[in-house]
Amino acid sequence: MNAQAAAIETVAGVANLGKYYGNGEQRVVALHDVSVGIGRGQFTAIMGPSGSGKSTLMHVMAGLDTPSAGKVWLGGDEISGLGDAELTKLRRRRIGFIFQAFNLVPTLDVRGNIMLPFQLDGKKPSLQEMAWIDALLGQLGLAERLDHRPHELSGGQQQRVAIARALATKPDVIFADEPTGALDSRTGREVLKLLRSAVTNSGQSIVMVTHDPIAASYADRIVFLGDGKIVADRGAMTAEEISATMLNLEGHGA
Amino acid sequence: MSAANGSALREHAATVVVSALSTMFAVALILTTGVMGAALDPTLIEESGTFRMTLLMVSFIFIIIALYVGAIVTANTFATIIAGRTRTIALYRLVGSTSARIRSRVAGEGLLMGAIGAVIGFVLAEALIAGVVAIGPGLGWLPEGRDYPLFDPLAIVAVAIVALTTWAAAWAGSRRVGSVSPIAATGASVELRPEESRGRRARTVWAWILIVIGVVLLALGIVASIFSPMALMIAFFGGLFSFTGIAIGAHFIMPPILKLTGKLIDRGPTGSLAAANAVRFPERSARSTIGLVIGVTLVVMFAVALDSYRAMTLIAFDNDPMMAAMLNETLAITTAIFTGLVGFSAIIAAVGLVNTLSLSVLQRTRELGLLRALGFTGSQVRRMVVAESAQMTVAALGFGIVLGVFYGWVAAQTLLGSEVGFAAPSVPWLVVAGVVVFGVALALIAAAAPARRAVRVSPVTALAVD
Repeated sequence: MNAQAAAIETVAGVANLGKYYGNGEQRVVALHDVSVGIGRGQFTAIMGPSGSGKSTLMHVMAGLDTPSAGKVWLGGDEISGLGDAELTKLRRRRIGFIFQAFNLVPTLDVRGNIMLPFQLDGKKPSLQEMAWIDALLGQLGLAERLDHRPHELSGGQQQRVAIARALATKPDVIFADEPTGALDSRTGREVLKLLRSAVTNSGQSIVMVTHDPIAASYADRIVFLGDGKIVADRGAMTAEEISATMLNLEGHGA
Repeated sequence: MSAANGSALREHAATVVVSALSTMFAVALILTTGVMGAALDPTLIEESGTFRMTLLMVSFIFIIIALYVGAIVTANTFATIIAGRTRTIALYRLVGSTSARIRSRVAGEGLLMGAIGAVIGFVLAEALIAGVVAIGPGLGWLPEGRDYPLFDPLAIVAVAIVALTTWAAAWAGSRRVGSVSPIAATGASVELRPEESRGRRARTVWAWILIVIGVVLLALGIVASIFSPMALMIAFFGGLFSFTGIAIGAHFIMPPILKLTGKLIDRGPTGSLAAANAVRFPERSARSTIGLVIGVTLVVMFAVALDSYRAMTLIAFDNDPMMAAMLNETLAITTAIFTGLVGFSAIIAAVGLVNTLSLSVLQRTRELGLLRALGFTGSQVRRMVVAESAQMTVAALGFGIVLGVFYGWVAAQTLLGSEVGFAAPSVPWLVVAGVVVFGVALALIAAAAPARRAVRVSPVTALAVD
């Protein structure tokens, strides 16, 4: 589908993925026969209207939900057959998450939230990892706020803590679900620039689910979903082009 | 609609159970005094009126303790329910409902649930006493051929008082309705906000005044005990003041104790999160543990006082083994009855603790989903909930046992100090062991249902934007 994607090593993906709810007459198709590979070191946006299956796709790729059909892999490992406990362990270090809101554990301070994935894994961060975390905290302007609890931070600051936590373990992929959805446009742009620079400067692979054309315009590649299927797969586009593509696809769908 | 009813039922289950238990306790005690009056030898009929009066007076003390603990539990339950309903309340405010009206509707729910519980409790108590009266004479518990009363107008008074107390407690517990802003309905965030520390200064000052006066009186009583058994009176008021001070000052006394017990479980991410959760809403945790502290303190106090009394008098009756044996038996029975009667309040308090934990897990679905997404396994989530439960139970039990041993010792010491000098408290280990077993069972029971619910939370459903 995309000539550019073929040349790039993939870090995660799904093949012939299906996700169905219910049985018989009531069967609801969330995703049907979806195949897509996520490029290593790429910023991939998944777009689509509400109900297109974009969140379900992300949940399955991130090991939060299990597929009804097809294969899911992460790094070199197939994860579609894994049980809950194995998927949980996988999420600790190999996957990072940034959600729209409610990203942080309210009872932990900034430091506690960022260290949580390491603690859960039962391993102290190495000296190298500590240096990386310190650098991140500096870059994100959080060094002064390590002892603050989430309710003492603004929405943008909370989102930066979530970014720091996701980047800290250098996971295979970071999944971001509408990361700017709860932010004002200026703070939202800052968050997008941070994600962009994590890809460009650190080679981090990021998958972002969004319905906002401006947010998607920061990505290297945009996968469009509609009615549980991939309807378009493009390289970087401007917000205007993305809007036009969306409108076009909606028009065809109707 | 059925889902809404289901959750309303779950929210109010504790209130119904607490008012049913309180009413059952009160009605059963009132009816028992009547049955015991009738069981007296008819030749002593003149005496039976006074006998019943005395029994009733003693019963009232236990009933009031149970009602007080029950009211704390209900107020706390309603405060927790209000915290969970913030969005709905905000929506009502948004479309123009006044907070006074919402609050009186919430209190009305309390009246309804209190009334339902009170009627259930009344029926249970009547059935219990009817059963005892029916089979009692056959088993030799009660003399045969007497006319045992199965009803007393006071029982209806008890039913009404429980329903009204529940109403008042629901009103008191729902005061935070007033602080819900209509704007909260528009926000996307469903995160539980930390309770703002309200204007508690007057309450704190009163608590300190009572505690200081109480401690001074207790100290005076202990010193005076060398000279006269009247020292008990001074110490009694010392105990009353200081303990009331502790009960109303729970909001600043319990959190440090909870933090202390939190250190015991603060191991790894599971333990440290559990430790933080238990003190996350300090006022809520304080309210839900203080009831148990009161119950445990009273149980242990009576047991220690009577046991110390027994130990000290046995020294006095050293050369009269007959007398000593009789005294031993009487005191053992008295201890058992008092422990049972006071212990009932501890059970009511336990319902409150179970309920607080249960509701707090219910209101944390989103956060549990986040933890699962970040890599908490199901069993880690379970362990976290159990650890929270253990922390609250250990804090309440530990503090209650310490207070109970102290007060019990002061009671025995001030009464008998002039006879035997200073004596160490005699701790009835059986009762303390019973309290500890009760506590362990409570911690596990309290955690069982919420832990199961917490484990079932899937990372996806919890993070779905609502």
